[in-house]
Amino acid sequence: MNEQQKVNILMVDDQPAKLLSYEVILKELNENLIKAHSGREALDHLLKNEIAVVLMDVSMPELDGFELADMIRQHPRYQKTAIIFISAVHLTDLDQLKAYQRGAVDYISVPIVPELLRAKVSVFADLHRKTRQMEMLNGELRSLSARLIAMQDEERRRIARDLHDSVGQLVATLSMNNGLALMQAEKLSPPAREALNQNTELVKQLSKEIRTISHLLHPPLLDEIGLLPAIKLFADGFAERSGIQVAVELAPELGRLAPKVEISVFRIIQECLTNVYRHSGSKTASIKIWSSDEKVLTLQVCDQGKGIGVERRVSMSLGKSNGVGVSGMRERVRELGGTLDIQSNGNGTTVTAVIPETTAATVAVSY
Amino acid sequence: MRTRFLIVDDNDLVRQSLRTVLQANPEWEIAGEASNGQEALEIFKTSHPNLVILDFQMPGMNGIETARRILEIAPAMPIVLFTQHASAELEKHARAAGIRSVVSKTDTFPMVGIIEALLGPADRPPADGERPQD
Repeated sequence: MNEQQKVNILMVDDQPAKLLSYEVILKELNENLIKAHSGREALDHLLKNEIAVVLMDVSMPELDGFELADMIRQHPRYQKTAIIFISAVHLTDLDQLKAYQRGAVDYISVPIVPELLRAKVSVFADLHRKTRQMEMLNGELRSLSARLIAMQDEERRRIARDLHDSVGQLVATLSMNNGLALMQAEKLSPPAREALNQNTELVKQLSKEIRTISHLLHPPLLDEIGLLPAIKLFADGFAERSGIQVAVELAPELGRLAPKVEISVFRIIQECLTNVYRHSGSKTASIKIWSSDEKVLTLQVCDQGKGIGVERRVSMSLGKSNGVGVSGMRERVRELGGTLDIQSNGNGTTVTAVIPETTAATVAVSY
Repeated sequence: MRTRFLIVDDNDLVRQSLRTVLQANPEWEIAGEASNGQEALEIFKTSHPNLVILDFQMPGMNGIETARRILEIAPAMPIVLFTQHASAELEKHARAAGIRSVVSKTDTFPMVGIIEALLGPADRPPADGERPQD
């Protein structure tokens, strides 16, 4: 929906003359005006069309305005539709309260001031248009963000693979050649022997560096063996590099999951442990994954650190300084049809994501 | 009788270096070479090796899967996984699949010793190792 697109305004009244007068008043808004002569007819229109504003008489035979509002609100699609009541008789505060309790946005008494009615309807028509635009843009952003995450995963996988296939193999060959030379090292002069020994050590270091980079970019065990071994290997490496003890408790019966789920769960754990290291000050962390029943996978990462400070929590709730990290985790979980929750206090932080196992995963993380 | 090796790695340079390392021992010879798991299975059936050296990460079937398939044909065949990704976690899976040893490509010096230990007199399989054994 763009800024020029017309929205539907539903006018409900059992008196054709009144409908006609509303039509005359609202005509210059240049929106689509739909007339309904009864509550039933109005419901029929609501089922068939997307309605931005409902303008309705309170007193109608058969189904009155309040009853109709109740029915409209029951439908999830219309829970936020603007309803404006018009009444010549029910004018007490209690009547008005009744209307607002049913989700009315305004309650207008007769006689109607045409300019006022037009202005009020116009506000809600614009609001609806803008809401729809926002929803559409939001949807586009989400789909773009999901594509970016998928592309980033793929790019990391490709770089890791390239490292393995090119530099990694060359270093392996260097290592083997050094090994061959070492077998005959006694034939070398002492300085040459020393240089060879040094080179052997350098190759080992180089190899370790490449391996770490490659594993962080994309864990090879993830594709070849599965999520759980990849997590264990990552947790071991993380503990070694950071000095933070990581307890890993993974449901062993968990088989291979969809590749998209496996990479997302792995990246969420990676992100959480990075946060533990950067922000928590904790010396310990834990990762748990379990299948609560056959349809839900739960992942939990906890730490015993200082928690997320008030300032940071406020900026996170305002969507500021959230970093790509937490947003990225949220997007990954949302993409899998799950939810992510972050709990934090002075004793640690817990992030929980729940994902249906068909698309698969529940995550709870503390840092 | 000389000990025969099947070398499986998708990288030419690595295979070439492995060849050089193994052939430094006059009692050892290369029975065959393959650049992926599928090819390895075919060559294994005709080359009668005494020991297989397998890369882990290869296009198509990985080293552990290839090992499983080889061990279905010859359950006692000693297999060494030769990989850049050596770790306790990988070793656990490799051993569960029947692989005897995991050697890191980043530290190849112990490889010859490991192979000698695997080929120890009591452990030496017959040259026609493809015959299933109990």
